[in-house]
This record gives sequence, C-alpha cells and structure tokens, in this order.
Amino acid sequence: MIIRPKAFFRGVHPAGHKTPTEQLPPERIPTPAEVAVPLLQHAGKPALPVVEAGQAVKRGECIAVCAGGVSANVHASVAGTVKAIETRPDGRGGEAEYIVITASGEQEDAFLAPLSSPTAEEIMERIREAGIVGMGGAGFPSFIKLAPPVPVDTLILNGAECEPYLTCDDALMRGNCEKIVRGAKYMAKALGVTRILIAVEKNKPQAIARFSETELDVVPLKKQYPMGAEKQLIYCCTGRKVPLGKLPAHTGVIVQNVATAFAVCEAVEEGKPLIERVVTVTGGGIRTPKNLICPVGTPLSLLAEACGGEENAVKLVAGGPMTGAALTGYEAVVTKTTGGFLFLTPAETNTDEPTPCINCAKCASVCPMKLMPMQTEFYTNAKQYENAAKYGGVLACIECGACSYICPARRPLAQAIKTAKEQLRRKP
Amino acid sequence: MRILSSAPHIKTRRTTKHIMLDVLIALLPATAAGIVYFGWQAAVLIAVSLASAVLTEFVWYLIEHKVWRDGGVVRAWAKQFDYTSLVTGLLLALCLPANIEGWYMPLLGSIFAVGVVKMLFGGTGKNIVNPAIAGRVFLFISFALMTVYPAANFAPIGEQNLDIWWTNTWVSATTSPTGAGDALTTGATQLGNMLGKKPILSNLDLFLGTGVAGCIGETCKLALLIGYVYLCVRGVIKWYLPLLYIGVTGLFAVALEGFNFDYFLPSVLSGGLILGACFMATDYVTTPKSTLGNLIYFTALGLLTAGLRKATGLEVVSFCILLMNFAVFLLDIAIKPRPFGYVRKKKEANK
Repeated sequence: MIIRPKAFFRGVHPAGHKTPTEQLPPERIPTPAEVAVPLLQHAGKPALPVVEAGQAVKRGECIAVCAGGVSANVHASVAGTVKAIETRPDGRGGEAEYIVITASGEQEDAFLAPLSSPTAEEIMERIREAGIVGMGGAGFPSFIKLAPPVPVDTLILNGAECEPYLTCDDALMRGNCEKIVRGAKYMAKALGVTRILIAVEKNKPQAIARFSETELDVVPLKKQYPMGAEKQLIYCCTGRKVPLGKLPAHTGVIVQNVATAFAVCEAVEEGKPLIERVVTVTGGGIRTPKNLICPVGTPLSLLAEACGGEENAVKLVAGGPMTGAALTGYEAVVTKTTGGFLFLTPAETNTDEPTPCINCAKCASVCPMKLMPMQTEFYTNAKQYENAAKYGGVLACIECGACSYICPARRPLAQAIKTAKEQLRRKP
Repeated sequence: MRILSSAPHIKTRRTTKHIMLDVLIALLPATAAGIVYFGWQAAVLIAVSLASAVLTEFVWYLIEHKVWRDGGVVRAWAKQFDYTSLVTGLLLALCLPANIEGWYMPLLGSIFAVGVVKMLFGGTGKNIVNPAIAGRVFLFISFALMTVYPAANFAPIGEQNLDIWWTNTWVSATTSPTGAGDALTTGATQLGNMLGKKPILSNLDLFLGTGVAGCIGETCKLALLIGYVYLCVRGVIKWYLPLLYIGVTGLFAVALEGFNFDYFLPSVLSGGLILGACFMATDYVTTPKSTLGNLIYFTALGLLTAGLRKATGLEVVSFCILLMNFAVFLLDIAIKPRPFGYVRKKKEANK
C-alpha cells in the first residue's frame, strides 16, 4: 500500500548524478588477497580483538568482540590467516586499528546457526552477535537502538538515499525486496511493533513499485536533501516532530536503514554476520561506475581496479558528497557503514575560494533544522562559541551540509558549525 | 595530490556574482525607461555613476593590497570583482534627478557610496547601511540641485485626478501642463502644491511615469515591477517582502487620511516607494537574517514611510530605509533561532 507523506521541511535539491549506476545490479567483487578489518566501524568504543597474529580464521568468525556499552562485534570477512593486528593510516588523515587477514582463497564459512521462527529475544541476541550496526552512515549498534527506553509503535525503514551519487540502497532494494521486508518484520518483532513504513524517495520508482507489491506500507517521498535524516524522515512519514534533546524513540518511532534490514534478515535466516555490503563506486573520475558487493575491509585500491581505474579525479570521498569524508589516498577500506566511494573531477567538486558573506540568509532558508548557519560561522570565526550556540542554534545541527551547499559566497558554514560543536563539547 | 576539505563536497553553481548580475538584469527595464523618459542626460549620469563606482572600488583595491607596482593588477582585481559596485552605482544613478547640470553628483555620490559606506567598513557584506541609499542621502543634504526634478519627456495621458486633493504632497510628481519636457518642479513647488491643494496626476500616469517628475529610475513603475517579478522568479528576493512594505505604506497612508481609500494607489505609486521597496530595502546586507526579523523590518519601514511622508510632506523613502538599516543589528540579536522540534520551556509552577 502506498501512503502519502504527511509533511515537508526546508532543504536543498542538488543534482542527483545517480544515472551511471542507477540500473546496475550489485556485482560481487573478486575475493581480495588481503583485507584490513577496522576495529571501529561503528559509533562508540572500538571492539576488542579475540584473535592473534598467525591464527587461522574462517569467514564469518568473530575476531573482535563488543567492548561493552556502545560497541559491536566484528567478524572475519574472508577465510585466511590473521597477518597482524596493527595501527595503519585510515585514509582520512588519522590512524586506526586494523586486523589484517591474508585470504587463503578457500571458501570456509563459520556462520551462526540459522533460526527458524525465532522469538523476540532470539532476534535481539542474533542482531547483537552478528555485529549489525546502522548501515546508513552513523553506524549506531542496532541491538541498542532496537531496545529503546520508551515504548514505540512504528518502525520506519529508511530507503530515502537522499545523498547524490549513491545508489547502493537502491540497488539492494531492487534486487532484495523480499529479504528487506522479512528483515523489517524480524526487527518489528524484536521491537514489539506492528506498523512498518518503508520510506523511499520518488527518484527510485522501481523500488517503490517492488515494495508496493508487498504487504508493507510504502511512503514515496519528495526528492529533497536531507530527506534521509532521521528527524526529517520521521516528520515526513508520520508528521511527528522529535523534541530537541530527545531521542527519535520519544516520538514512538525507530528508524533503520534498508541495508540494516537486509543484514538482519541474512543474520537470522542464514546465520551470516555483517561481513559484506553494497558499495557504490562512482563519480566522473572513475572509468566504469559500479555497485559492488564488497567484504568489509576490502581496500579502496581493489575497488578502483574493479571499476577500471581512475581518470582525472582530484578528490576522493568516502560516503556521499554532502556528508562524506575526503580521503588522502587509497589507504581507506570498506567498512560496515561505507555507502560509496566517489572519484570527483574538478568540474564536479567545489574549488572556489570563500568570498565575503553577503547576508543573503539562503543558508537559514534551507536549514532543515531552522538554524542560523551564518550567525554560527560569524561567532565561530570570532571564537565566541557560546554566542554561536545562542544566536546560531548550533547544538541542534544535524550536519547535513545544506547550508554550505547553497551558500553563494562559498563559505565553509558546515565546517564552522562542526568546529563550534566540537569546542562546546569540550567545555564542561 | 588530492583536494582535502570538509563536507559537503558539492556546491550549487550560483555565486554572489550571479545574484548581483540578476539584480543588474532586473534593473535594466527601469534603466531603459529612465533613458527613454529623460533622454541622453539620464544616460550620461548613469554612465558617470557606474564608472566612478567601479573605479572607486578599483582604486581602493590598489591601495588596500598595495599592488600598484605589480603586473596583472587588473586581472587580480577582476577575479575578485563581484559586481556589487555596479549595482550600487546603477541604483544611485536611478535615484538622482536627470539634470545634466548636476553631472558631478553621481561622481561624488558613487565615491561616497562605494569608498566610504562600503569599502571603509570592510567591503562587500560588511557595510552597515545600503551604499546607494547613503549616497543619495549624502547628495540630498549637500546639493540643492537634488530637489529639482525634471519631468518626463511625455505628457500625461490620463485625466487629472480631481477627486483627491492632496493635502500633503509628498509626491515628487507634478503635472506638466505646457507639454513635454520643459517643466521643472522644485521642492518649493511641491510645497506649493501642498498648500494650494492642487490636483495630482492620475493613477495611470503615476504607474507609467508619463508626465511625472522624479528620479531617473523611479518614475516608470511598470518597468520596476518587471524587474521585481524577475528577481522573484530567480529567487533573489522573497516576493512577499516588497509587497509587505508597499502594502503597509499604502494602508497606513489611508488610515492617516481618515480611511479614505482613494489615497491608497497615489501613495503607493508616487515617489520612490516601489524602487525602494523592490531594490533598495531588499538589499541582503542591510536586512535582518531571520524571516520574522524581515517581517518586522518591512512592516516598520512601511509605517515609518507613510508616517514621515504625512509629517514632513517630503519624499522620505531613502531616509526611512537608512534609518531602519541601523535597526537591523538589533533585530538580528533580538530574534534567536527556534530549531525544528523546539519545545517551549514550561514555567516552573509555584516558585
């Protein structure tokens, strides 16, 4: 059944750039010779390694366990030998801990036992064991999100994919509609809710058509950025506003990404932990853009190779172009939350220098949180972070980047907001 | 080498230059109408104003960057040139009387507007008041010539509006009974109109600017409204703000005349109200940032304009905008953002 969206919010309409990979089914990448699985692929604390260098591991074997609190299990994504547990550059200018596994080339799986007609507790335990995290980008561990502190009545599956360029969720929805629906039902059972909505932007008509044939309710949303942001999505689907400083669960809604639902289904029915995902490799700087199914820990160089290599790319981005991180080089690997890698040409990315703010208030008129980004930037440049919070409302920012996108003076507003938030967080 | 920067990595194509270019395009109909109505004198004044505005900014750039000895100065300057001084120069010329005797006025006005009001305060985006308005007011209080307005080259086509007897002629409009182009009206004549309760032009003439004496760009309301529609379509200004200003002015004038609605159209269509509302008051730099702030700002402008017109019998749009420009900062700090999902803090009971 198709449900009309209930509300609208401010936002921007960047060009989609989805055409190169829009119709491509996900393609499996050849098994990499070596994977580097990061210990921190989720929000919270890094997982604790339970393997040693030299130890043989099977595909799907747990190699690092949840460190308690907000954390998640990590599994071997290929069968082979642990080469080392080491610190490496992460491709974003920092360093991270990796478990490096050399693939043996054999197909040895050590999955969990499949569950048939599981109870709510069994599903929750399975989601925790399988190391499932929110696959939309934030990577919040799902077993925590599915145990909200207040009772909820609705589960929304987020298939909005409002970021330009990315088509990984679209590819998944077109090909694995039934598995996503079953995964959603398992999550709904774990939550104890009966109402499940699937939110998809209208620029994915095939996915909407597939879902409307199932028994779940589909909400076709206007193509708008940031439609996939949790608060905006809840508002559009249900008309409920998440109060400031409260969790989305306080409106009775839990949002999960479609890729998460797919992973839940595989974990429950096949016992397969979260060890691979669909990644979109696209942009004007790559020869043949593709949607690839990659094991977690696959290095970016292998993805670039599988897509014919780069051409005239000046900027590498992990994730979408609006919120993703710029990369220094090919050191980056696929993680549980990587939706895509972009190879941007000079024409696609912005290289203009900032010019003075002309006070046009376009940033405020597109802010989905109704904030004042220009005030925040002004006070942040003056190092008056308290005023940035007072006059700019910076603490409520969801960091979608719409303000920087629209700014005709090319000012780095989102960057200033992140700085202000960081500075305010440091203060007691 | 990779480019590293914070997200987002894509940006809209529209830059400050495009916006300023849109404003210039929107001003073209009014400029053309001004040249048609007031002849070559208007064209010369506009050219002087544009040239001196751009030249002032260029000279400022040379001094500020101390690059007069380097090569490629013009290219470096052109790269950062964002058309704002062109907008200032054109707007200033459009609110001057088309009187070639005052050829030095656009020159001095532009130098004051760009040099003092804009660049001295830090350049584009840093000025406190609208440069064109400040330039006009500077000339208005400096030269008597600013009060002499030649009438347009066309005779009025409508009947004189005998129903309304202007008791307070704030309009810079007058009839041109002897035909085209030879009548000059001065401030004194306006005062005479006011005291003598002479009839004013028909609404149609006020709208088209035929026979109306006034500034180069403000007489043809039709051309200004075409520009206004263009600005709205291109998303440069919010459509409701100029309408709010114009509407409040008209209604408050009506209220001041004892709710005589015959005064609505003449007070809306005369003077520089439409030019001021569509192009001057909507200047980004000197308007509040928030929507609520803008609503307050434009309403206050309307009340102030109608009230001061009634009280002084002069054309006061530029003075009102200048006054309200100083209130922008206060409006900006008084209105704090209410984020999406804002919950009003409950008053603590019995405390």
